Amino acid sequence: MSQWAFEPARDLTLTRKERRQSLRRESDLLESGCHLAWALGMRAYLKLWHGLTVEGREHLPLKPPFVLVANHASHLDALLLAAPLPLTIRDQVFAIAAEDVFFEKTSRAVLATTFLNALPISRRRATPKALSEFRQRLVDEPCAYILFPEGGRSRDGQMLPFKPGIGMMLAESPVPVVPCHIDGAFAACPAGRRLPLRRRITIRVGASLTFAEVKNNRAGWVDVAGRLQEAVIRLAPAGSMVTSSVAKAAEE
Amino acid sequence: MQPISWDRLFGYQHAFDQPATILLLGIVLGVLALAPVAILVADKRKPLEDKQRAELWQRWFSWLVLVVLMAAPVLLGAFWTMLAVTALSLICYREFARATGLFREKFTSLLVVVGILAVGFAVLDNWYKLFVALFPLTVASLAGFQVVLDRPAGYIQRVALGILGFALFGSALGHLGYLANDEHYRAVVLLVLVSVELNDVAAFVSGKLFGRRKLCPNTSPNKTIAGAIGAVLITTAFVALVGWQVFAGTALEHWPKLIVLGIIISVVGQLGDLVLSSIKRDLGLKDMGVTIPGHGGLLDRFDSLILVAPAVFHYVWYFGGFGLQQPICIFSGARS
Repeated sequence: MSQWAFEPARDLTLTRKERRQSLRRESDLLESGCHLAWALGMRAYLKLWHGLTVEGREHLPLKPPFVLVANHASHLDALLLAAPLPLTIRDQVFAIAAEDVFFEKTSRAVLATTFLNALPISRRRATPKALSEFRQRLVDEPCAYILFPEGGRSRDGQMLPFKPGIGMMLAESPVPVVPCHIDGAFAACPAGRRLPLRRRITIRVGASLTFAEVKNNRAGWVDVAGRLQEAVIRLAPAGSMVTSSVAKAAEE
Repeated sequence: MQPISWDRLFGYQHAFDQPATILLLGIVLGVLALAPVAILVADKRKPLEDKQRAELWQRWFSWLVLVVLMAAPVLLGAFWTMLAVTALSLICYREFARATGLFREKFTSLLVVVGILAVGFAVLDNWYKLFVALFPLTVASLAGFQVVLDRPAGYIQRVALGILGFALFGSALGHLGYLANDEHYRAVVLLVLVSVELNDVAAFVSGKLFGRRKLCPNTSPNKTIAGAIGAVLITTAFVALVGWQVFAGTALEHWPKLIVLGIIISVVGQLGDLVLSSIKRDLGLKDMGVTIPGHGGLLDRFDSLILVAPAVFHYVWYFGGFGLQQPICIFSGARS
């Protein structure tokens, strides 16, 4: 007879503050309830206020592990990408959020973890070692990430080049990455705006990519970032704000 | 609601009606006031290491907070006592679930939490039949509703862990809240709280002083037979002496009965301690969490209380009856 395996919470020995900052955080029942309530509320809000439509829904995975990446121009983006995912995996979907924006003030960190289920990433120290913990959790648990490889919100709505950090997380990894394009979030709630305007928002989902065969080195990381960037741009409708500087750079 | 129920639930003006309440509070506050003096004296005679000193002060401060958190609801009224016990049950279950990994089974955890909240209601309502019924009902719901998930892998483990969690923190600990359905609950609840903590301290101190042979080295290597015996002697003496005041005018005002009560509290308290040690050993953990600085999890502090609550409750009920003048089913109006 094999022994029962007990698996204590990975964040068992952390204080409440450490727990919020940690990548090992696991939701308890109350937090799961909050995530669920928030997800339901967001779905209703995005549908009613922004008339959210999702094209290519069939490309969305139903089970972790997976990673969603998209262009980033608004605080709405993470909420938007989470909205079409099944509620049953809500606890396993983490929005990867900038530590300096979401995790330095306690009140904001509480909101980010309790409702958004956000995990902190440091923009200053995005090294392979720092990202390996993300990589590990993705397959161990398994879980899913919502991630914006531009490394910050675009201030003019035009897409910024994807940073190679995404490659450090995904090169040589079998986890599928789903490119998405968000259209309308910049018009609804650009950086600096508090309350979103009533603008239509569309998410276009593309077929997933994997980078198992890409080498986990600098060239590989750049390759991953470049291919994902291309995939997101390809989803953008002709004449949309995205295809400008980045597209030109890519063509050259 | 009848005035008599209202008075018991919210009548903070009755906080000090019983001399025994004042006596117990005086003892606790006295010990808390003396502790810093003792730390300072010990430090003066033989300077402590910085880390050790910091830990002692942290422990003392944690105790201060804990005493306020425990005494305030008891003094304020039965409602607050029951609320505090339900909160304690929920937090203890949370620690247990996170330590065993059961918390990942959201549905199981939800059923246990519903069971604990229902126990809280039965206690508040003074509806003993529901209180009793909730054990089999929760077991049935844990075993039965899980089937809906259609996931047989791990079924036995999650149902069994759920039942153990509910038994310890919902059902057993719930008896502590039920004690507050007696008109003179304050002194009894305080007696249980104080003697259980005293029991821990007595075991520790007499173990340090006389301990040589281990009690159960595989479960808890620091516990000794001398510690266990010392705890029984000290706790029994304390319960008998203070109990004379607490149970004045009831069937328990009788030396042999009080001595047996003291032995029950001491032995069962130590068993509760070992129950948690066994759980921690099995899981390979040192502490159940980090809720209280210097103590570990809340469970690490209240482990001894869990089994004592039902033991004391039924012992007192057997001899003296319990809250016999109190209206039952205050909110539900059920006729049982």
